[in-house]
Amino acid sequence: MRKLLLYIFLCIATVATAATYSVDNLPIPYLQDKTQYVSNPDDILSQTAVDSLNLWLGQMETEHGVQTVLAVVERIEGGDTYEFCMALGRKYGIGSKEQNTGLIILLSTGDRAYTILTGRGLEGKLPDAICKRIENRQMLPALREGDWDEAMLATVRAITKYVDGDPSLVGGSDFEHNVEDGFTTFGMLLLLAIGLIIFAVWKDRRKKSYCPSCHQYKMKRISSRVTTNRILGIRTHHDTYRCTHCHFTKELHWDEHINSGGMGAAAGGALGSSLFRGGGGFRGGSFGGHFGGGSFGGGGASGRF
Amino acid sequence: MKTLFGKVLTPSLTGRVRGGSFILLLGILPFLFTSCTYNKLVEQEETVDQKWADVQTQYQRRADLIPNLVNTVKGYAAHESETLEAVIAARSKATQITVNADDLTPEKLAEYQAAQGEVSQALGKLLAITENYPDLKANEQFSELQAQLEGTENRIAESRRIYNEAVQTYNVSVRRFPNNIWAMIFGFEKKTMFAAEAGAEKAPEVQF
Repeated sequence: MRKLLLYIFLCIATVATAATYSVDNLPIPYLQDKTQYVSNPDDILSQTAVDSLNLWLGQMETEHGVQTVLAVVERIEGGDTYEFCMALGRKYGIGSKEQNTGLIILLSTGDRAYTILTGRGLEGKLPDAICKRIENRQMLPALREGDWDEAMLATVRAITKYVDGDPSLVGGSDFEHNVEDGFTTFGMLLLLAIGLIIFAVWKDRRKKSYCPSCHQYKMKRISSRVTTNRILGIRTHHDTYRCTHCHFTKELHWDEHINSGGMGAAAGGALGSSLFRGGGGFRGGSFGGHFGGGSFGGGGASGRF
Repeated sequence: MKTLFGKVLTPSLTGRVRGGSFILLLGILPFLFTSCTYNKLVEQEETVDQKWADVQTQYQRRADLIPNLVNTVKGYAAHESETLEAVIAARSKATQITVNADDLTPEKLAEYQAAQGEVSQALGKLLAITENYPDLKANEQFSELQAQLEGTENRIAESRRIYNEAVQTYNVSVRRFPNNIWAMIFGFEKKTMFAAEAGAEKAPEVQF
């Protein structure tokens, strides 16, 4: 009987076991959408809590330049939350490179372990002792009751208070950089496309103005005439050019398909599609975030419950 | 026919231009090469020195934390004086050994590491006995001190890792051909890395 019970228990345990996350397979929603700071792949936190956390952490980034990754998972590889956070920090370089204000908060409910890891630039405002105090006073009581939502909400609330009290943390540099970067890339593409079109037009005109007789670029169009063949669907342009230098005259004929709308539309189509491709990275009306390359020296505090 | 900016180049002119620039290039190249290598080696050596300074800062930070920790523990576990004294003795011994970045010989580094290792061991013992004092463990000040100590140990490990990485980059540069020739001429020598901590190869024993 006992064996049977054990067997049933094992079966349930196997089914109920959630994925064990490694640094490489932990989803980071921030990279796709820069308003999403919380990684909650096992749905341990409620959606309401995730929304509040995202809002607060977003404010912390715009106002103080503190870039956060908050992850709540069932289990992590190795079970050591500190090592996991360090590896995460090393891999993504969370926080700006100048300020090093990255922050990683990790709770592994199955390992019953948690870590707050502070970037080098945050160690002044959030020293290890303060991180520990936040964990002891805000996180632990809720964790002991299994209230994961409250544990994370209270922790982030407390961290926000400490960060708000530091005027040396200048906000938003990273955040605005990102948006600006987005526009700069867009603008560059646009400029490049315009430049290419201008170049093509210029090249075309220069070719037309070349005089084969005196080898100078002095041909001017003196008359132009259009004939249309509706049966073939072709419009033929007859342009007459005369050289202002040696008065040499040449005639140019070129055909245009009536339905195609000409060269302008083709260029416009190419331009449009390339711009569309450039804009493909923006999902759901929001920019994907990027991490600034901040480094972590090992500051922060960890614990078990 | 070769043209350059619309002008026709005669074969003799091309030859002269090419030959001249070729000889010039041959003359300059070794200098460019040397100064480039030399600058790179200087840069990497500076990085190693800086990382070494970081390592020492973190060890110093730990040493600064110890008196505070010892005093807190004393209030709760006065009769563990032997363990407490061992920590203080190891600390004062370790703080006397400082190694400058320019004479980081393997022997000096080993000595430094051994002294700091003793501090680690004494601290480990101290933290182990605190397990027997529930009042102490419940003390918030002690909990925060312990967190600071843990954070510092983490920082030490991280700064050592970064130092080792910097040394490795530098050593590879120094030993690689043809850099090794310039390194020999300018006196760049191989630097020493931290060895794995004595006892780190053994997995910690867990008792239930």
